[in-house]
Amino acid sequence: MGYVRGLRCRACGAEFPAVQLAVCESCFGPLEVTYELSAVRDSFRRADLAERPRDLWRYRELLPVLDESARVDLAVGCTPLRRAADLGEALDVREIWVKDDTVNPTYSFKDRPVAVAVAKAREWDLPAIGCASTGNLAAATAAAAAKAHLPCYVFAPASLEPAKLLVPRIFGATVVPIEGTYDDANRIALLTADRRGWGFVNINLRPYYAEGSKTLLFETWEQLGFELPDVIVVPLGSGLLLTSLEKGFRELRELGEVADPPRLVGTQAAGCAPIVQGFESPDGRPKPVRRPETVAESLAIGDPGSGFEAIQAMRATRGFADAPNDPDILDGVRLLARAEGVFTEPAGGTTVATLRRAREDGRIDRDERVVLLITGSGLKTPAVWRDAFQPLAPVPPNSAAVDAYLGGLHHG
Amino acid sequence: MVRLVLASPIAVATRGEREIEIEFEGTLRGLFDLVTNRYGKPFQQRIFEGDGALKRFVNVYVNGEDARYLRGLDTPIPRDATVDLLPAIAGG
Ligand SMILES: Cc1ncc(COP(=O)(O)O)c(C=O)c1O
Ligand SMILES: [Zn+2]
Repeated sequence: MGYVRGLRCRACGAEFPAVQLAVCESCFGPLEVTYELSAVRDSFRRADLAERPRDLWRYRELLPVLDESARVDLAVGCTPLRRAADLGEALDVREIWVKDDTVNPTYSFKDRPVAVAVAKAREWDLPAIGCASTGNLAAATAAAAAKAHLPCYVFAPASLEPAKLLVPRIFGATVVPIEGTYDDANRIALLTADRRGWGFVNINLRPYYAEGSKTLLFETWEQLGFELPDVIVVPLGSGLLLTSLEKGFRELRELGEVADPPRLVGTQAAGCAPIVQGFESPDGRPKPVRRPETVAESLAIGDPGSGFEAIQAMRATRGFADAPNDPDILDGVRLLARAEGVFTEPAGGTTVATLRRAREDGRIDRDERVVLLITGSGLKTPAVWRDAFQPLAPVPPNSAAVDAYLGGLHHG
Repeated sequence: MVRLVLASPIAVATRGEREIEIEFEGTLRGLFDLVTNRYGKPFQQRIFEGDGALKRFVNVYVNGEDARYLRGLDTPIPRDATVDLLPAIAGG
Protein backbone atom coordinates (compact mmCIF):
# COMPACT_ATOMS: atom_id res chain seq x y z
CA MET A 1 0.00 0.00 0.00
CA GLY A 2 1.34 3.36 -0.92
CA TYR A 3 0.86 7.00 -0.19
CA VAL A 4 2.31 8.24 -3.44
CA ARG A 5 0.22 10.75 -5.33
CA GLY A 6 2.39 11.19 -8.40
CA LEU A 7 5.24 13.15 -9.93
CA ARG A 8 5.40 16.93 -10.18
CA CYS A 9 7.73 19.05 -12.28
CA ARG A 10 9.79 21.38 -10.12
CA ALA A 11 10.09 23.86 -12.97
CA CYS A 12 6.62 24.14 -14.55
CA GLY A 13 4.41 22.36 -12.01
CA ALA A 14 3.03 19.81 -14.49
CA GLU A 15 1.78 16.65 -12.77
CA PHE A 16 2.16 13.06 -13.91
CA PRO A 17 1.30 9.65 -12.52
CA ALA A 18 4.12 7.87 -10.67
CA VAL A 19 5.44 5.98 -13.69
CA GLN A 20 8.93 5.51 -15.08
CA LEU A 21 9.59 9.05 -16.20
CA ALA A 22 13.01 10.69 -15.98
CA VAL A 23 12.08 14.32 -16.64
CA CYS A 24 8.99 16.45 -17.22
CA GLU A 25 7.31 15.59 -20.50
CA SER A 26 6.49 19.17 -21.30
CA CYS A 27 9.58 21.18 -20.25
CA PHE A 28 12.17 18.41 -19.51
CA GLY A 29 12.58 19.84 -16.01
CA PRO A 30 13.29 17.75 -12.89
CA LEU A 31 10.46 15.77 -11.34
CA GLU A 32 9.75 15.12 -7.70
CA VAL A 33 7.52 12.54 -6.05
CA THR A 34 4.44 13.85 -4.24
CA TYR A 35 2.51 12.08 -1.48
CA GLU A 36 -1.01 12.07 -0.07
CA LEU A 37 0.22 13.76 3.07
CA SER A 38 -3.15 13.77 4.81
CA ALA A 39 -3.11 9.97 4.61
CA VAL A 40 0.54 9.82 5.67
CA ARG A 41 -0.30 11.86 8.77
CA ASP A 42 -2.53 9.09 10.12
CA SER A 43 0.17 6.46 10.27
CA PHE A 44 3.45 8.41 10.47
CA ARG A 45 3.44 8.87 14.27
CA ARG A 46 6.39 9.58 16.50
CA ALA A 47 5.43 6.89 18.99
CA ASP A 48 5.14 4.24 16.27
CA LEU A 49 8.42 5.17 14.62
CA ALA A 50 10.35 3.93 17.64
CA GLU A 51 9.07 0.39 17.10
CA ARG A 52 9.99 0.19 13.47
CA PRO A 53 12.87 -1.70 11.83
CA ARG A 54 16.21 0.03 12.08
CA ASP A 55 16.74 0.88 8.43
CA LEU A 56 15.53 3.51 6.01
CA TRP A 57 12.22 1.74 5.40
CA ARG A 58 11.06 2.94 8.80
CA TYR A 59 9.96 6.05 6.88
CA ARG A 60 8.07 3.94 4.34
CA GLU A 61 5.06 6.27 4.05
CA LEU A 62 7.37 8.89 2.55
CA LEU A 63 9.25 6.56 0.22
CA PRO A 64 7.80 5.78 -3.21
CA VAL A 65 8.02 1.98 -3.12
CA LEU A 66 4.65 0.29 -3.48
CA ASP A 67 5.63 -3.38 -3.48
CA GLU A 68 7.43 -4.34 -0.27
CA SER A 69 8.82 -7.49 -1.87
CA ALA A 70 10.71 -5.34 -4.37
CA ARG A 71 12.99 -4.00 -1.63
CA VAL A 72 16.54 -5.21 -1.42
CA ASP A 73 17.40 -5.74 2.21
CA LEU A 74 20.93 -4.55 2.90
CA ALA A 75 20.07 -2.76 6.17
CA VAL A 76 20.71 0.71 4.83
CA GLY A 77 20.44 3.77 7.06
CA CYS A 78 19.89 4.32 10.77
CA THR A 79 23.51 5.31 10.99
CA PRO A 80 24.94 6.92 14.15
CA LEU A 81 24.50 10.57 14.96
CA ARG A 82 27.60 11.20 17.02
CA ARG A 83 27.97 14.05 19.47
CA ALA A 84 31.28 15.61 18.44
CA ALA A 85 32.34 17.47 21.57
CA ASP A 86 36.05 17.55 20.79
CA LEU A 87 35.47 18.78 17.28
CA GLY A 88 33.18 21.42 18.78
CA GLU A 89 35.98 22.55 21.04
CA ALA A 90 38.45 22.68 18.16
CA LEU A 91 36.12 24.75 16.00
CA ASP A 92 34.52 26.80 18.77
CA VAL A 93 31.00 25.53 18.24
CA ARG A 94 28.86 24.65 21.24
CA GLU A 95 27.11 21.68 19.69
CA ILE A 96 28.26 19.66 16.70
CA TRP A 97 26.80 16.35 15.64
CA VAL A 98 28.35 14.07 13.05
CA LYS A 99 25.87 12.12 10.98
CA ASP A 100 28.10 9.18 10.19
CA ASP A 101 27.12 7.59 6.89
CA THR A 102 30.54 5.99 6.49
CA VAL A 103 28.99 2.91 8.12
CA ASN A 104 26.39 2.18 5.48
CA PRO A 105 26.68 -1.22 3.70
CA THR A 106 29.00 0.15 1.00
CA TYR A 107 30.44 2.94 3.15
CA SER A 108 28.60 5.95 1.78
CA PHE A 109 25.17 7.60 1.87
CA LYS A 110 24.58 6.44 -1.71
CA ASP A 111 23.14 3.19 -0.36
CA ARG A 112 20.06 5.23 0.56
CA PRO A 113 19.00 6.56 -2.86
CA VAL A 114 20.03 3.28 -4.48
CA ALA A 115 17.77 1.28 -2.15
CA VAL A 116 14.75 3.16 -3.48
CA ALA A 117 15.83 3.21 -7.13
CA VAL A 118 16.57 -0.51 -7.23
CA ALA A 119 13.22 -1.32 -5.62
CA LYS A 120 11.56 0.66 -8.44
CA ALA A 121 13.62 -1.14 -11.06
CA ARG A 122 12.34 -4.43 -9.63
CA GLU A 123 8.75 -3.21 -9.47
CA TRP A 124 9.02 -2.32 -13.13
CA ASP A 125 10.88 -5.50 -14.02
CA LEU A 126 13.77 -3.71 -15.72
CA PRO A 127 16.32 -6.09 -17.26
CA ALA A 128 19.42 -4.39 -15.85
CA ILE A 129 20.46 -1.45 -13.72
CA GLY A 130 23.45 0.86 -13.61
CA CYS A 131 24.68 4.33 -12.93
CA ALA A 132 27.14 7.04 -13.84
CA SER A 133 29.35 7.44 -10.83
CA THR A 134 32.12 9.45 -9.23
CA GLY A 135 32.85 6.31 -7.19
CA ASN A 136 30.51 5.80 -4.29
CA LEU A 137 27.39 5.33 -6.31
CA ALA A 138 29.13 2.59 -8.27
CA ALA A 139 29.65 0.47 -5.16
CA ALA A 140 26.15 1.10 -3.84
CA THR A 141 24.47 0.24 -7.13
CA ALA A 142 26.63 -2.83 -7.67
CA ALA A 143 25.93 -4.22 -4.20
CA ALA A 144 22.19 -3.73 -4.49
CA ALA A 145 22.23 -5.25 -7.98
CA ALA A 146 24.08 -8.28 -6.67
CA LYS A 147 21.47 -8.84 -3.97
CA ALA A 148 18.67 -8.25 -6.49
CA HIS A 149 20.26 -10.65 -9.03
CA LEU A 150 20.26 -7.93 -11.68
CA PRO A 151 23.05 -7.24 -14.15
CA CYS A 152 24.75 -3.94 -13.34
CA TYR A 153 26.68 -1.49 -15.54
CA VAL A 154 28.78 1.24 -14.00
CA PHE A 155 30.06 4.19 -16.02
CA ALA A 156 32.86 6.12 -14.35
CA PRO A 157 35.90 8.18 -15.30
CA ALA A 158 38.80 5.79 -15.99
CA SER A 159 41.01 8.08 -13.89
CA LEU A 160 39.08 7.40 -10.67
CA GLU A 161 40.78 6.08 -7.53
CA PRO A 162 41.62 2.40 -8.21
CA ALA A 163 39.65 1.21 -5.16
CA LYS A 164 36.52 2.89 -6.45
CA LEU A 165 36.81 1.07 -9.78
CA LEU A 166 37.60 -2.25 -8.08
CA VAL A 167 34.76 -2.49 -5.56
CA PRO A 168 31.87 -2.64 -8.05
CA ARG A 169 33.66 -5.40 -9.95
CA ILE A 170 33.88 -7.49 -6.79
CA PHE A 171 30.10 -7.23 -6.56
CA GLY A 172 29.93 -8.56 -10.13
CA ALA A 173 29.16 -5.35 -11.97
CA THR A 174 30.56 -4.48 -15.37
CA VAL A 175 32.63 -1.32 -15.08
CA VAL A 176 32.85 0.84 -18.20
CA PRO A 177 35.89 3.09 -17.59
CA ILE A 178 35.30 6.21 -19.66
CA GLU A 179 38.17 8.22 -20.99
CA GLY A 180 37.32 11.72 -19.76
CA THR A 181 35.53 13.48 -16.94
CA TYR A 182 32.52 12.47 -14.90
CA ASP A 183 30.38 14.56 -17.21
CA ASP A 184 31.59 12.54 -20.20
CA ALA A 185 30.72 9.33 -18.35
CA ASN A 186 27.31 10.68 -17.46
CA ARG A 187 26.51 11.67 -21.04
CA ILE A 188 27.40 8.32 -22.49
CA ALA A 189 25.65 6.45 -19.65
CA LEU A 190 22.49 8.38 -20.41
CA LEU A 191 22.66 7.44 -24.09
CA THR A 192 23.40 3.80 -23.30
CA ALA A 193 20.62 3.37 -20.74
CA ASP A 194 18.22 5.03 -23.15
CA ARG A 195 19.14 2.81 -26.08
CA ARG A 196 19.10 -0.42 -24.11
CA GLY A 197 16.14 0.12 -21.81
CA TRP A 198 18.19 -0.19 -18.64
CA GLY A 199 17.37 1.53 -15.37
CA PHE A 200 20.17 3.88 -14.42
CA VAL A 201 19.55 4.91 -10.86
CA ASN A 202 20.71 8.53 -11.04
CA ILE A 203 19.54 9.10 -14.61
CA ASN A 204 16.23 7.62 -15.69
CA LEU A 205 15.19 6.53 -12.16
CA ARG A 206 16.28 9.87 -10.72
CA PRO A 207 12.98 11.15 -9.26
CA TYR A 208 12.69 7.97 -7.18
CA TYR A 209 16.40 7.70 -6.42
CA ALA A 210 16.31 11.23 -4.98
CA GLU A 211 13.81 10.17 -2.34
CA GLY A 212 16.19 7.86 -0.53
CA SER A 213 18.57 10.65 0.46
CA LYS A 214 16.01 12.61 2.48
CA THR A 215 16.02 9.80 5.07
CA LEU A 216 19.23 11.45 6.30
CA LEU A 217 17.09 14.38 7.38
CA PHE A 218 14.39 12.19 8.91
CA GLU A 219 16.94 10.22 10.91
CA THR A 220 18.67 13.34 12.14
CA TRP A 221 15.31 14.74 13.25
CA GLU A 222 14.42 11.53 15.06
CA GLN A 223 17.86 11.12 16.64
CA LEU A 224 17.77 14.67 17.99
CA GLY A 225 14.55 13.82 19.80
CA PHE A 226 12.30 14.97 16.94
CA GLU A 227 14.05 18.28 16.50
CA LEU A 228 15.92 19.65 13.55
CA PRO A 229 19.32 21.28 14.03
CA ASP A 230 19.95 24.95 13.22
CA VAL A 231 22.45 24.17 10.47
CA ILE A 232 23.22 21.14 8.29
CA VAL A 233 26.46 21.18 6.30
CA VAL A 234 26.08 19.13 3.13
CA PRO A 235 28.65 18.16 0.48
CA LEU A 236 27.50 19.02 -3.05
CA GLY A 237 28.19 17.03 -6.19
CA SER A 238 25.16 17.23 -8.45
CA GLY A 239 23.29 19.03 -5.66
CA LEU A 240 20.67 16.30 -5.42
CA LEU A 241 21.42 15.33 -1.83
CA LEU A 242 20.89 18.87 -0.56
CA THR A 243 17.79 19.25 -2.73
CA SER A 244 16.38 16.04 -1.25
CA LEU A 245 17.02 17.17 2.32
CA GLU A 246 15.02 20.32 1.66
CA LYS A 247 12.18 18.22 0.25
CA GLY A 248 12.25 16.05 3.36
CA PHE A 249 11.99 19.17 5.48
CA ARG A 250 8.97 20.41 3.51
CA GLU A 251 7.25 17.06 4.02
CA LEU A 252 7.84 17.10 7.78
CA ARG A 253 6.53 20.64 7.90
CA GLU A 254 3.40 19.76 5.95
CA LEU A 255 2.85 16.87 8.35
CA GLY A 256 2.95 19.40 11.18
CA GLU A 257 6.08 17.84 12.69
CA VAL A 258 8.46 20.79 12.37
CA ALA A 259 8.21 24.52 11.82
CA ASP A 260 11.47 26.14 10.71
CA PRO A 261 13.97 24.71 8.25
CA PRO A 262 17.56 24.05 9.21
CA ARG A 263 19.92 26.38 7.34
CA LEU A 264 21.25 24.23 4.53
CA VAL A 265 24.91 24.97 3.91
CA GLY A 266 26.36 23.42 0.76
CA THR A 267 30.04 22.81 0.22
CA GLN A 268 32.22 21.71 -2.64
CA ALA A 269 35.91 21.84 -3.44
CA ALA A 270 37.32 25.09 -4.84
CA GLY A 271 38.65 23.07 -7.78
CA CYS A 272 35.12 22.18 -8.86
CA ALA A 273 32.58 24.62 -7.47
CA PRO A 274 29.89 25.22 -10.11
CA ILE A 275 27.10 25.34 -7.52
CA VAL A 276 28.95 27.65 -5.13
CA GLN A 277 29.70 30.03 -7.99
CA GLY A 278 26.08 29.88 -9.04
CA PHE A 279 24.95 30.61 -5.48
CA GLU A 280 27.08 33.73 -5.50
CA SER A 281 25.86 34.95 -8.86
CA PRO A 282 22.65 37.00 -9.28
CA ASP A 283 20.98 34.53 -11.65
CA GLY A 284 21.44 31.62 -9.26
CA ARG A 285 22.45 29.26 -12.05
CA PRO A 286 25.37 26.86 -11.63
CA LYS A 287 28.50 27.84 -13.54
CA PRO A 288 29.71 24.66 -15.29
CA VAL A 289 33.34 23.60 -14.86
CA ARG A 290 34.88 21.82 -17.78
CA ARG A 291 37.94 20.29 -16.11
CA PRO A 292 37.45 19.66 -12.39
CA GLU A 293 40.68 19.58 -10.39
CA THR A 294 40.37 18.40 -6.78
CA VAL A 295 41.10 15.58 -4.32
CA ALA A 296 37.37 15.48 -3.60
CA GLU A 297 36.69 13.29 -6.64
CA SER A 298 33.29 12.16 -5.45
CA LEU A 299 32.10 15.78 -5.66
CA ALA A 300 33.76 16.54 -8.99
CA ILE A 301 30.69 17.04 -11.16
CA GLY A 302 31.28 19.94 -13.55
CA ASP A 303 27.72 20.26 -14.81
CA PRO A 304 25.55 19.56 -11.76
CA GLY A 305 22.08 18.40 -12.74
CA SER A 306 20.41 19.56 -9.52
CA GLY A 307 22.57 22.63 -8.97
CA PHE A 308 19.83 25.17 -9.59
CA GLU A 309 17.47 23.41 -7.18
CA ALA A 310 20.22 23.17 -4.56
CA ILE A 311 20.91 26.91 -4.86
CA GLN A 312 17.22 27.65 -4.40
CA ALA A 313 17.11 25.39 -1.34
CA MET A 314 20.13 27.08 0.24
CA ARG A 315 18.63 30.49 -0.37
CA ALA A 316 15.18 29.49 0.87
CA THR A 317 16.60 28.17 4.14
CA ARG A 318 18.97 31.15 4.69
CA GLY A 319 21.95 28.89 4.28
CA PHE A 320 25.00 29.58 2.13
CA ALA A 321 27.53 27.89 -0.12
CA ASP A 322 31.27 27.57 0.39
CA ALA A 323 34.25 26.13 -1.47
CA PRO A 324 37.36 25.30 0.59
CA ASN A 325 40.57 24.36 -1.19
CA ASP A 326 42.19 20.92 -1.21
CA PRO A 327 44.65 21.48 1.67
CA ASP A 328 41.79 22.74 3.87
CA ILE A 329 39.71 19.73 2.88
CA LEU A 330 42.45 17.27 3.84
CA ASP A 331 43.01 19.16 7.10
CA GLY A 332 39.30 18.72 7.71
CA VAL A 333 39.57 14.96 7.20
CA ARG A 334 42.49 14.77 9.61
CA LEU A 335 40.78 16.93 12.21
CA LEU A 336 37.64 14.79 12.20
CA ALA A 337 39.71 11.61 12.44
CA ARG A 338 41.82 12.88 15.32
CA ALA A 339 39.06 14.61 17.26
CA GLU A 340 36.28 12.08 16.82
CA GLY A 341 37.75 8.84 15.49
CA VAL A 342 35.75 9.03 12.27
CA PHE A 343 37.65 8.56 9.01
CA THR A 344 35.96 10.20 6.07
CA GLU A 345 36.84 10.68 2.45
CA PRO A 346 37.49 14.23 1.20
CA ALA A 347 33.75 14.90 0.77
CA GLY A 348 33.41 14.77 4.56
CA GLY A 349 36.54 16.84 5.04
CA THR A 350 34.89 19.47 2.89
CA THR A 351 32.08 19.87 5.44
CA VAL A 352 34.56 20.19 8.32
CA ALA A 353 36.58 22.76 6.37
CA THR A 354 33.49 24.79 5.62
CA LEU A 355 32.41 24.78 9.26
CA ARG A 356 35.85 26.00 10.25
CA ARG A 357 35.78 28.77 7.65
CA ALA A 358 32.26 29.77 8.60
CA ARG A 359 33.25 30.09 12.26
CA GLU A 360 36.19 32.27 11.27
CA ASP A 361 34.06 34.71 9.30
CA GLY A 362 30.96 34.36 11.47
CA ARG A 363 28.61 32.86 8.94
CA ILE A 364 27.85 30.16 11.51
CA ASP A 365 27.38 31.20 15.09
CA ARG A 366 28.96 29.49 18.07
CA ASP A 367 25.53 28.81 19.56
CA GLU A 368 24.00 27.21 16.51
CA ARG A 369 23.43 23.48 16.69
CA VAL A 370 25.30 22.09 13.71
CA VAL A 371 25.06 18.72 11.97
CA LEU A 372 27.83 17.69 9.59
CA LEU A 373 26.85 15.10 7.00
CA ILE A 374 29.77 12.72 6.73
CA THR A 375 28.71 10.95 3.58
CA GLY A 376 31.55 8.57 2.73
CA SER A 377 34.39 6.55 4.23
CA GLY A 378 38.05 7.45 3.98
CA LEU A 379 39.07 3.87 3.29
CA LYS A 380 38.06 4.21 -0.35
CA THR A 381 40.41 7.12 -0.98
CA PRO A 382 43.84 6.21 0.43
CA ALA A 383 45.62 7.72 -2.57
CA VAL A 384 44.86 11.29 -1.50
CA TRP A 385 47.36 10.80 1.37
CA ARG A 386 50.28 9.77 -0.79
CA ASP A 387 52.14 13.05 -0.32
CA ALA A 388 51.19 13.64 3.30
CA PHE A 389 52.42 10.32 4.69
CA GLN A 390 55.81 9.02 3.57
CA PRO A 391 56.22 5.26 3.13
CA LEU A 392 57.26 3.49 6.36
CA ALA A 393 60.75 1.99 6.55
CA PRO A 394 60.79 -1.38 8.38
CA VAL A 395 62.18 -1.38 11.95
CA PRO A 396 64.16 -4.42 13.21
CA PRO A 397 62.25 -6.25 15.98
CA ASN A 398 64.48 -5.32 18.92
CA SER A 399 64.21 -2.72 21.66
CA ALA A 400 67.25 -0.72 20.62
CA ALA A 401 65.94 -0.30 17.10
CA VAL A 402 62.48 0.61 18.36
CA ASP A 403 63.95 3.12 20.81
CA ALA A 404 66.00 4.63 18.03
CA TYR A 405 62.92 4.79 15.84
CA LEU A 406 60.81 6.43 18.54
CA GLY A 407 63.55 8.82 19.57
CA GLY A 408 64.07 7.69 23.12
CA LEU A 409 61.70 7.00 26.02
CA HIS A 410 58.62 9.09 26.23
CA HIS A 411 57.61 10.41 29.65
CA GLY A 412 54.00 10.91 30.73
CA MET B 1 25.88 13.00 -43.00
CA VAL B 2 25.26 14.74 -39.69
CA ARG B 3 23.77 12.40 -37.09
CA LEU B 4 21.31 13.98 -34.69
CA VAL B 5 20.64 11.78 -31.64
CA LEU B 6 17.81 12.59 -29.24
CA ALA B 7 17.34 10.91 -25.85
CA SER B 8 13.86 9.45 -25.65
CA PRO B 9 12.35 12.17 -23.41
CA ILE B 10 13.49 14.82 -25.92
CA ALA B 11 12.29 12.86 -28.94
CA VAL B 12 8.75 14.15 -28.40
CA ALA B 13 10.09 17.12 -30.36
CA THR B 14 10.74 14.94 -33.41
CA ARG B 15 7.60 12.79 -33.32
CA GLY B 16 9.47 10.04 -31.52
CA GLU B 17 12.41 9.81 -33.92
CA ARG B 18 15.59 9.31 -31.93
CA GLU B 19 18.20 9.21 -34.68
CA ILE B 20 18.07 11.49 -37.66
CA GLU B 21 20.57 11.69 -40.51
CA ILE B 22 20.83 14.99 -42.31
CA GLU B 23 22.95 16.22 -45.19
CA PHE B 24 24.35 19.39 -43.61
CA GLU B 25 27.38 21.53 -42.96
CA GLY B 26 27.30 24.90 -41.15
CA THR B 27 26.56 26.07 -37.64
CA LEU B 28 24.48 24.53 -34.87
CA ARG B 29 21.92 27.28 -35.38
CA GLY B 30 21.69 26.44 -39.07
CA LEU B 31 21.25 22.75 -38.26
CA PHE B 32 18.39 23.51 -35.86
CA ASP B 33 16.74 25.73 -38.50
CA LEU B 34 16.82 22.79 -40.89
CA VAL B 35 15.37 20.43 -38.28
CA THR B 36 12.68 22.97 -37.45
CA ASN B 37 11.72 23.06 -41.12
CA ARG B 38 11.34 19.32 -41.06
CA TYR B 39 9.54 18.89 -37.72
CA GLY B 40 7.79 22.22 -37.49
CA LYS B 41 6.86 24.38 -34.53
CA PRO B 42 6.75 21.58 -31.94
CA PHE B 43 10.51 21.13 -32.33
CA GLN B 44 11.18 24.81 -31.98
CA GLN B 45 8.89 25.25 -28.97
CA ARG B 46 10.30 22.31 -27.07
CA ILE B 47 13.97 23.04 -27.66
CA PHE B 48 14.09 26.84 -27.61
CA GLU B 49 12.94 29.63 -25.34
CA GLY B 50 10.91 32.46 -26.82
CA ASP B 51 14.09 34.56 -27.14
CA GLY B 52 15.83 31.94 -29.25
CA ALA B 53 18.12 30.58 -26.54
CA LEU B 54 18.29 26.86 -25.88
CA LYS B 55 15.99 25.63 -23.13
CA ARG B 56 17.60 25.29 -19.74
CA PHE B 57 16.94 21.58 -19.46
CA VAL B 58 18.26 20.60 -22.89
CA ASN B 59 21.96 19.91 -23.26
CA VAL B 60 23.50 19.87 -26.72
CA TYR B 61 26.73 18.04 -27.47
CA VAL B 62 28.72 18.32 -30.68
CA ASN B 63 30.97 15.30 -31.12
CA GLY B 64 30.74 14.72 -27.39
CA GLU B 65 31.57 18.28 -26.32
CA ASP B 66 28.98 20.39 -24.53
CA ALA B 67 28.07 23.18 -26.96
CA ARG B 68 28.28 25.68 -24.08
CA TYR B 69 32.02 25.03 -23.93
CA LEU B 70 32.28 25.52 -27.71
CA ARG B 71 30.58 28.44 -29.39
CA GLY B 72 27.00 27.77 -28.42
CA LEU B 73 24.64 28.07 -31.34
CA ASP B 74 27.52 29.38 -33.46
CA THR B 75 29.48 26.14 -33.04
CA PRO B 76 30.61 24.85 -36.44
CA ILE B 77 29.03 21.55 -37.49
CA PRO B 78 31.20 19.55 -39.89
CA ARG B 79 29.42 17.27 -42.37
CA ASP B 80 30.10 14.08 -40.38
CA ALA B 81 29.31 15.47 -36.91
CA THR B 82 27.24 13.74 -34.24
CA VAL B 83 24.95 16.07 -32.32
CA ASP B 84 23.28 14.77 -29.14
CA LEU B 85 20.25 16.40 -27.52
CA LEU B 86 19.95 15.14 -23.98
CA PRO B 87 17.97 16.14 -20.90
CA ALA B 88 20.12 17.97 -18.35
CA ILE B 89 20.35 15.29 -15.68
CA ALA B 90 23.90 14.98 -14.55
CA GLY B 91 25.29 13.44 -11.49
CA GLY B 92 24.22 12.05 -8.45
C1 LIG C 1 30.56 10.90 -0.46
C2 LIG C 1 29.66 11.80 -1.25
N1 LIG C 1 29.14 12.87 -0.65
C3 LIG C 1 28.34 13.73 -1.31
C4 LIG C 1 28.02 13.55 -2.65
C5 LIG C 1 27.17 14.57 -3.34
O1 LIG C 1 25.89 14.12 -3.66
P1 LIG C 1 25.05 14.84 -4.77
O2 LIG C 1 25.62 14.44 -6.09
O3 LIG C 1 23.66 14.30 -4.55
O4 LIG C 1 25.13 16.31 -4.55
C6 LIG C 1 28.54 12.46 -3.32
C7 LIG C 1 28.20 12.28 -4.74
O5 LIG C 1 28.64 11.54 -5.51
C8 LIG C 1 29.37 11.54 -2.61
O6 LIG C 1 29.90 10.46 -3.20
ZN1 LIG D 1 7.94 20.86 -16.50
